[in-house]
Amino acid sequence: MAVYDFFTLPRDVTELIQRNSELEDEVANLQSQIIQLQEQLQEADILYSLLDYARSRPADEYIAAAVIGRDPSPFLQYIIIDHGSDDGIRYGMPVVTQQGLVGRVEAVTASAARVQLISDAQSTVNVTLQTQDADALIEGSISGDITLEMLNQNVSLNTGDILLTSGLGGNYPADILVGQVVDIQKTENELFQTAYIQPVVDFDTLRAVLVITNFQTTNISPLTNETER
Amino acid sequence: MLANFVSIPFMLLLSVLQSTAISRITLINGCADLVLIGVACWGVKEKGYNAFVWALVGGLFTALITAMPFYIPIASYIFVALLAKILFGRIWQSPILMLIIVVFIGTIFQHILSIFYLQVNGVSAGLITSLRNITLPSLLLNLFFVFPMYVVVSDLRQWVLPGEDYE
Repeated sequence: MAVYDFFTLPRDVTELIQRNSELEDEVANLQSQIIQLQEQLQEADILYSLLDYARSRPADEYIAAAVIGRDPSPFLQYIIIDHGSDDGIRYGMPVVTQQGLVGRVEAVTASAARVQLISDAQSTVNVTLQTQDADALIEGSISGDITLEMLNQNVSLNTGDILLTSGLGGNYPADILVGQVVDIQKTENELFQTAYIQPVVDFDTLRAVLVITNFQTTNISPLTNETER
Repeated sequence: MLANFVSIPFMLLLSVLQSTAISRITLINGCADLVLIGVACWGVKEKGYNAFVWALVGGLFTALITAMPFYIPIASYIFVALLAKILFGRIWQSPILMLIIVVFIGTIFQHILSIFYLQVNGVSAGLITSLRNITLPSLLLNLFFVFPMYVVVSDLRQWVLPGEDYE
């Protein structure tokens, strides 16, 4: 047997080298498959969460969209999603995730749309406190911080209070989670108290969103200053 | 002529990279502007007027993506090309030093335009906050990306315009 091995060993080594090379290729293929599957799994997790959220609010109709880009200007807080007017996305539609409010559609092309985040400096959202009957509004800023404004001094505001959309103004549906109070600025001489808000959505890691397609925004501008003059 | 045609795919690539990847790399609230750096890199290496075409093409692509009005990116990039044209060969004949100056002044000009636009539209964009949280970090990131971009644009230029380097 040893003699047989002695004579056949070189051939076996060649075969082993070839086999080793084949196995290395297979390992590389499997590793790339694992990475792809992990990515698909992450995507599926996100989509399942979005689906759960959509099922919890059956009255609304949704289109799921992936976040494909951000506004290049550091002064603006916008994202770009991969669905546009061809998919039924229209100007003004509210955008949410399973966690809460993201923003609203601000511009649409055939295959993509630009969404203004609630942290954008030009964004204002009417909100209400979850535990009290008190309306206020939240405003974004150029640095992406969100503040609670126009809240009556009589309201007892506490750190950790939850904010929901109030539906006033007609831009967003009511009762969507927005964020929670993290720091209160209350000065007795001021008419209103203000507070810093921690949004429930992490805008830096957004990968997929839901666009609410059956919500009709209300244009209240004819009822404001211009017609009163 | 070829240089102008090349600007279309190159600036498209930079705009897409800017929107998808670079805008996620932030320092405080600032982020780099690849298109601005690309225009500056091309501008500091030539005597001609191709950089203005690059600025226009880059500005148009950026205007398609950004919520800023179209004239802000276009004006910023044309200003960068103009600055590169004015300074060409005047600062110790050194394109790298000139590039840093062009990117530095160009970034500040772009941010002043943006802040002015926001102020006009009723957004309270405090100068100190903008400078501390956005402009200075953006400047730092822009200067970080200057050198790799300079190498890429130099190679591209040698391929498009062989033997016309003024370094």
